[in-house]
Amino acid sequence: MSLKNPIDLRQDRRQWLITSAGVLGASLLPVSDLAASALQVPTPPVVPHGTVPEAQSPATFFTSAQHALVEELAETIIPADSRSGGAKAAKVADFIDQFLRETSDDAEKSVWRDGLPLIEVMCRHYHGKSFVDSTPEERVAILTVLSDHAHLTDLPEVRFFNSLKRMTVDGYYTSKIGIHDELQYKGNRINMEFVGCDDQPPAKS
Amino acid sequence: MAEPPKSEEVDLSKLYDAVVIGSGAAGGMASHVLTSHGMKVLLLEAGKKLPIEKELRSMEWPYDNRYRGDLPPNSHSLTFNEYTIRNPPYGPGFEKFKHLKSYVGDSDYTKNIVVDERENPYTGTRYAWVRARCLGGKTNIWGRLALRLSDYDFKAKSRDGFGEDWPISYADIAPYYDKVDLYLGITGVKENLPYLPDSIFQRPTKLNCAEVTLQQGLRKMGRVLTQYRAGVTTDGLKHNKYRSRCYGRGACERKGGCDIHAAFDSPTGLIYPAMDTGNLTVRSNSTVREITVDPNTGKASGVSFIDSETMKDYHVRAKFVILAASTLESARLLLLSKSRLFPNGLANSSGHVGHNFCEHIMGPGVYGRDKNRVGKPATLDDGRPGGFYVPRFRNLDTKDPNFIRAYGFEGGSGCQMFPSGTGIPGFGASFKEEVRKNYGAFIGMGAFGEVLARYENYVDLDPVVKDKWGIPALRFHYKFGDNELKMAKDMKETAQEMFEEAGFEIVRVNDRVLTEGWSIHELGTSRMGDDPKTSVVSQFQQAHDVKNLFIVDGSTHVNASCQNPTWTIMALCWRSCDYLADQFAKGNI
Repeated sequence: MSLKNPIDLRQDRRQWLITSAGVLGASLLPVSDLAASALQVPTPPVVPHGTVPEAQSPATFFTSAQHALVEELAETIIPADSRSGGAKAAKVADFIDQFLRETSDDAEKSVWRDGLPLIEVMCRHYHGKSFVDSTPEERVAILTVLSDHAHLTDLPEVRFFNSLKRMTVDGYYTSKIGIHDELQYKGNRINMEFVGCDDQPPAKS
Repeated sequence: MAEPPKSEEVDLSKLYDAVVIGSGAAGGMASHVLTSHGMKVLLLEAGKKLPIEKELRSMEWPYDNRYRGDLPPNSHSLTFNEYTIRNPPYGPGFEKFKHLKSYVGDSDYTKNIVVDERENPYTGTRYAWVRARCLGGKTNIWGRLALRLSDYDFKAKSRDGFGEDWPISYADIAPYYDKVDLYLGITGVKENLPYLPDSIFQRPTKLNCAEVTLQQGLRKMGRVLTQYRAGVTTDGLKHNKYRSRCYGRGACERKGGCDIHAAFDSPTGLIYPAMDTGNLTVRSNSTVREITVDPNTGKASGVSFIDSETMKDYHVRAKFVILAASTLESARLLLLSKSRLFPNGLANSSGHVGHNFCEHIMGPGVYGRDKNRVGKPATLDDGRPGGFYVPRFRNLDTKDPNFIRAYGFEGGSGCQMFPSGTGIPGFGASFKEEVRKNYGAFIGMGAFGEVLARYENYVDLDPVVKDKWGIPALRFHYKFGDNELKMAKDMKETAQEMFEEAGFEIVRVNDRVLTEGWSIHELGTSRMGDDPKTSVVSQFQQAHDVKNLFIVDGSTHVNASCQNPTWTIMALCWRSCDYLADQFAKGNI
């Protein structure tokens, strides 16, 4: 389903933030276990001051419920189609988790910590259910609200969407599926001769 | 390819014929030429000898790299925005990162090649100073565009009245450009342009379809588009066992070098062959802090250096000192080398050391889409050392009313490993399809313009700030001027007009000027000339004040031209070292 257009994000968010106060406190809405745990903010691993997390840190940034949510969000950004797998198959959520786990950029971590619960709150506001329980059309409708307002970077949910898109694009198009199945990239191999326009079938316009 | 030769023990009690400071394009070339004449040479490099193939990993797939080729998250490389809102030194404010790098250090393949900004601070005006301290210096990761200068550059003052002419003309340097071409290899296509002389080219790369379309459009305007003239051996070099010919592999677009050394780098192209003569000794981790002078003769006696790791201080003696530390580091060393005889710094009786500092202004350009390429199957466009070059067309036969000198464009098109079209709005199935359809359709180019060599653009020593080794830091007094900014406006306009002529859809016109220094083409802090009052070195790069001191890097260039400097640095250095060796043999110096 698509949402009534145009949506005024600034006006709408006042309403769903009231809802969010309820959800984050004593829940007024029915919340599935999965969605409820996705709302919880994980405690960051304790890192001694002035040190850098080791690359092989065993902890994950996302809880398993959040990981499931990020998988669906990323798949909504770049879905599977008849040509190639999408972000889920390309394990983009793992890529994002690793980045957030290891980065020294606390602002970026906050964008994700704040953004995931806000997506849930939005979903509940517009569709009365969590993102993972939503239909593909409902998921697209939620992210379309944010994509249409991508310039409102003072809003945390918009910052989250922009980061989600950027990191999904980065993770997907550097994956095996992205490079080989989707783009069918031809380079990075030994070529005895250079190839140019005269070696390619003429472009029909 | 052969393994690098084993370094022999460094004997610091020896009197070397020459000590060379710096192992980049200039230091490598000096080592090659002097040892080929039988001179015993010690080459000092401030950085490490890196296991360079392990750094570059030219064919590694992003998904086989933990960070997909990006910098590890404990490190940070400076962005354009950070260079714009901050002032040097750039260290403070980034304490949470273990390493802070210049903008070039933004990949897993370059991070160990460029220096840590905190260990190597500088002060003054904004400047994106990219430094590579390791054997080979910046040649390990250079852009490879290898262009000749012409008398439009060497005699520019005679044409427009600004600055100084070089004390040489094209005829003086042409035989040395030929030597560099043949010894190191260069790819390109002959164009017979008086303002961009041809090299002795090996097998050229090929243009892809959008590039051919642009070439045809430019031809209608009387402008030229030619294949990227890259310092890359495409046919191989029989005399060099350390370098392979180019096999058109991927990752040439990625910041980083060539792990089969088809692209020129100083170690495999110059230093290893020089070591094989038995005349070259290399000492890495040697941070030179002063060129010492014999107070009785006024001649250079050797250099003092600090072991970069143990911090121990050493001195080595030599009959000649060859300064090749890079334009800015060479100026710094001369200013550091103060003595009773040379109170303003070595070879600085003119007061010109550090001055006339120039480079290339960058940023303006255009990005477009060739509609004929939309929806076509992916093509093989990667694996070329570069796309195309559009030589200068301003101030040749006619005079531009707004600015003097000129600019050229570098550009390319086609399917790169990471798609170009992901900046479009939206997401989902349609986004994915748009990226796929446009994969090979984008084309872009950006300008490099001459920054005038002005006395008031200069560097000196900071009175307070020191680097990790306790050596006074460099302080910048450098800004683009009116001529550059007017030129930048023209760059943007002509870029757009050329894409329109080619029939491309304009996606974006860039008018943003990048931070000073972005070109990494800094030049001119010890310019050459016939008059010791207004220049630092002679046409043979011999210091006017100190006859056994030669400054053989880009610091001696009289102007920046708009053509990339590396090939000229090496041709001039070869010429000077031939002169030096000849004078040495005759016992004249």
